[in-house]
Order: sequence, then structure tokens, then C-alpha cells
Amino acid sequence: MHDLFQRLISLPWDQAPQWFFLFPALLMLLAAAAAVMLRNLIHCALCLTLSFIALGVLFIALGAEFVGFVQLLVYVGAVTMLILFAILLTPASEVAASNNPFRSFQLSKALNAVAGGAVAMLVLAGLLAAIFFSPHAQAAVNPAKAATAPAAAIGENLLNHTLLPLQGTAILLTAALIGAALLAKEDKRS
Amino acid sequence: MMLQLLLAISAVLFCFGLLAALTRSNAIMVLIGIEMMLGAGNLNFIAFWKFSAHPELLTGVMFAIFSIALAAAEAAVGLAIIIQVHRRLRSVNINQADQLKG
Repeated sequence: MHDLFQRLISLPWDQAPQWFFLFPALLMLLAAAAAVMLRNLIHCALCLTLSFIALGVLFIALGAEFVGFVQLLVYVGAVTMLILFAILLTPASEVAASNNPFRSFQLSKALNAVAGGAVAMLVLAGLLAAIFFSPHAQAAVNPAKAATAPAAAIGENLLNHTLLPLQGTAILLTAALIGAALLAKEDKRS
Repeated sequence: MMLQLLLAISAVLFCFGLLAALTRSNAIMVLIGIEMMLGAGNLNFIAFWKFSAHPELLTGVMFAIFSIALAAAEAAVGLAIIIQVHRRLRSVNINQADQLKG
């Protein structure tokens, strides 16, 4: 196992062709499409997990190893686990959709899907037009030196240049933790 | 061309997230869509950092790390709200959650 790992690491990864990152990107898009289209919530969450794993691999392939591993730890390890727990804690009940004013309107669901799809397609068309016809994007060239983000440089940057945002994020995470615990707490009065 | 390809991939991922957030009536699916959109934003940060003139300044990487932290906080609070809504309404359908004061 260790031998295999050593051999994997010693492969010439930095000489990989430029299109190498297309594999995780394609996997990410396919898994995201499945997560949007599938009806079963558990399947959606699992496809989302696969999509996030592929996104982390894509980050690593683009040279941002630290962000890729943070993505794997935070999204795959924490966020999708939270989502899976929330799905298991909120089972669909039979009284669902009882007081929905649009329930009798059978077309409502299809109309909702068509309208949402139209908005998403419009946004996609606008974004793609901006990306491919913008003169700034066309002027972008590959930099001479490869971009790397070693963890030591990131730590130094965090403590030297972004100390205030780091402290703010710490306060925000504490507040979010306490707030989430308070919100999800059983209400004793009712 | 690499940069544009990456941005296009990120735009497609963003629109999948937008589609999930707009068309699904389950609150958890809306949250999944929001997470996808945040992931697309992170991909944009990394792509612009990789093709920037000064990648050694690590600006995009810093942005992506903070954005991941914010997304984690957002997911925790959002799921707590969804669990509370389910406790009150016995449903996570966002069409039914139409009162601020339970």
C-alpha cells in the first residue's frame, strides 16, 4: 500500500497535459446534474458528495492543493454529512402539501420547473456570452510560471495580511455554531 | 482558452445550482443548490488566481478559503432552520413555510 502510494506521488504530475483537469470537471458536472434531476433526496445528497469530491480533485489539479484538501474536509466531511443528517431527521410526512394553495393546480409544478429552467438557461447564456466574448478573457494568457500555493505561504499570508478577516471568520463560526444549536433546540414552551 | 473553459465549467455548475434552488420545493434541495453555487464561485476564485499576473500573492486562494468557511457556517444555520421548520410544520416544503412568526 505504502509502495503504491510512493509510486503514485513520484509520477510526473506537474508535466501532465493541460486538459488533464477536464476529467474531474466532467465528473463534477455529471454528478451535479444528477443531484439536481434525481427525485430521491438521499441520492441527491450522495451525488452532491461525488460532485464536491470531484471539485476538490479539480482544485488539486489546478495547483491549489490546500484549498482542495480543505474542500474535501469541509464539504465532503462536514457539509454533506450535515445535509444527510437533516434529510434523515426530516422524513416526508403524509400531511405534506395539505394547505398549499396551488395544490389543486396540477400545472403548477410543471410551470414551476419550466420557469426555473428558463431563468437558469438565461443566466447560463448570459454568463457564457460574457465569458467567451469579453475582451478581457480573450486577452488572458497562461502565465510563464506555474501557480502554486504551498500551505506554508498560505499560513503566512493568513497571519500577516488577512488577520482581521481570520478573526472575523472565527467569530462568525462561533456565532453560527451557537445559533445553529439554539435554533435546532427543542422548544420547551410548546 | 484554459481560463475561459474553467469559467464556462463554473458557469454550468452555477446554473445547475440555480436550477435546484429555483425548481425544487424541498428546502434541503434549495440548500444543496446554494452549496453548488458557492462551489462554482470557489472554482472561479481558483481559476482567476491560477491565471492572474501575480499568483504568488495568493489572493484567490485566500478568498476561496474564507468562502469555504462562510459556506460551512451558512449550511449549519440553514439546516438548523430547516429542522425547526420541520418540527413546526411537519414538512420541509418551502411553499408552506410562509409565516415569520410561528
